[in-house]
Amino acid sequence: MPWKLLWRNVLGHPVRSLLTVGAVAVAVFLVCVLDAVTSGLTRTLNAASANRLLVQSAVSLFVDLPLSYQQKMASVPGIEAICKWQWFGGRYEQDKGGFFAQFGIDADTFLPSYPEMKITRGSYDDFTKQRTACCVGDELADKYGWQVGQTVPIMGTIFERTDGRPWEFTIAAIYHSDSPAVDNQTMWFQFDYLRESLEQGGAEGPLGVGVYMLRMAPGTDPVAVQQAVDAMFENGPQRVQTTTEAEFNRQFISMLGDVPTLLRLIGGAVLFAIFFAVLNTMLMAGRERTRDLGVMKALGFTDRATGILLVAESLLLCGLGAGVGIGLGLLAEAPFAVATAAFLPGFGFDERTLLLGAGIAVVVGVVAGVLPGRRAARLTAIAALREVG
Amino acid sequence: MAEAIQLRSVTKAYQRAGESLRVLDELELTMAGGTFYALMGPSGSGKTTLLNLVGGLDHADSGTVMVGSVDLTQLDGSELAAWRAGNVGFVFQGFNLLPVLTARENVELPLQLTPLSRRQRRAQAERALQLVGLGDRMDHKPSELSGGQEQRVAIARAIATDPQVILADEPTGDLDRSTAAAVLQLLQRLNRELGKTILMVTHDPQAADYADKVIHLDKGKLGRIDANPGRG
Repeated sequence: MPWKLLWRNVLGHPVRSLLTVGAVAVAVFLVCVLDAVTSGLTRTLNAASANRLLVQSAVSLFVDLPLSYQQKMASVPGIEAICKWQWFGGRYEQDKGGFFAQFGIDADTFLPSYPEMKITRGSYDDFTKQRTACCVGDELADKYGWQVGQTVPIMGTIFERTDGRPWEFTIAAIYHSDSPAVDNQTMWFQFDYLRESLEQGGAEGPLGVGVYMLRMAPGTDPVAVQQAVDAMFENGPQRVQTTTEAEFNRQFISMLGDVPTLLRLIGGAVLFAIFFAVLNTMLMAGRERTRDLGVMKALGFTDRATGILLVAESLLLCGLGAGVGIGLGLLAEAPFAVATAAFLPGFGFDERTLLLGAGIAVVVGVVAGVLPGRRAARLTAIAALREVG
Repeated sequence: MAEAIQLRSVTKAYQRAGESLRVLDELELTMAGGTFYALMGPSGSGKTTLLNLVGGLDHADSGTVMVGSVDLTQLDGSELAAWRAGNVGFVFQGFNLLPVLTARENVELPLQLTPLSRRQRRAQAERALQLVGLGDRMDHKPSELSGGQEQRVAIARAIATDPQVILADEPTGDLDRSTAAAVLQLLQRLNRELGKTILMVTHDPQAADYADKVIHLDKGKLGRIDANPGRG
């Protein structure tokens, strides 16, 4: 096989080859990113803890539950600890365009219920003891250059202070989680600080709880707890829906629609488009090289060899594209992971994603090369030489 | 001793606009090995078809085409390809060099079908180029060569595998008179010094003068064979 000819043919049309390689690179990059997103979603769901249940309003996640529910639920057998979660939705004054999540939680039960979180700087004890303290993820702290002891002003949007000033939270602890179940870009503060401010008129806003987290004792049947809690509030005042953490995450993600299917559809469409782009390039290359193919056949190259030459050229272009695309993906992985950490903590390329990118390039390369390769193989030397006079 | 070429009752027809057009009609022809033949005749007389059959590029509808002891009509497509690789060299009117390859690489191309090592292939390609007087143009691409130089590269490619038969289809058709003369002298040298059997299609009587014998075809049949008086 004249491999040198293969390279020379590719390099003989540098602009066309570059554009084709670029198109394949963009497609492979995009497919890898989309796959990393769907894999990230799956990893996030899989990382959910089996001993945590989440209780939300049966109407909507956006409807608060009464504070009184906590005490009632504590009587359900098997529940070891309860932690409130209240979405704060504030805006960091120093970065109005930026976004990170803030939640009001019960400090005494929160960390013991999330053993995947490790305090890396500061002290969780200080967090529990100080009403205005907060605990932040290390990625968030690094992003803004925050240190333990620093005060962070957050302007409330749902819960506004009556004096018009921002809320001030003092960083008592910085945590890190290796599990996608908890991201590293969230701020946690004491729910009691919010409640007291609302009750004492220091702030305005709904007084309730978005979600209750129930930590079950080892060996507890989660279905029994779910049924007991749901039945407890069957007649109101606010009906609840109790789910496993994995199911809660799934429902949260599905609020955006069927994301994985949507991403797969986009990926499929990209592949379809790129297949035609490569096919077009290879058909053009095959047509332009009709005379060369005729000469090669006259010299003694077989039909099979000339066909393989075009398939190999298609594979080479797609292979180069895949290399560039995967390389770009690996370069972009870290910035992407940081950018999506708040809502997709599991984002990341794994071996499967990279193999998928390479596999797609191989399949597109072979399939797009088959048609011109078949034509080249079927062409007779006489017809090929006659075609150009 | 170069191989003789024998055609026995060879018929070849093409379909044109639904009609069968007989290009070669029960042709009987014997060509001695080591001889330089010019093949002449009016357009449509079957010259190029005859060349294609002898070169194993096409199949006869009937009859036998023997080159040496090989009956080409008995070979299938891949067998013919293998036979062409070792036994015949082609020179075309339009040179037909691969534009992306250098002169050396073009000449090396048919050698890739031989068991020679890369170094041996390179050495043989260089020898062929030196033989045609292009030792100083080996790394030039076809676009950097004149028409005459391109045709000489094509001739070097045709002899690179040391075939006994060289088939040339109007090799000087695209060249000026003096360049054409140089190419014809080169073919003549290959015949005289290396004993190659050469079959050259031409419309040009002056080109035919370089051959030992001139075969005249007319309407697919052998007209006559003239011994060239200028040649021994």
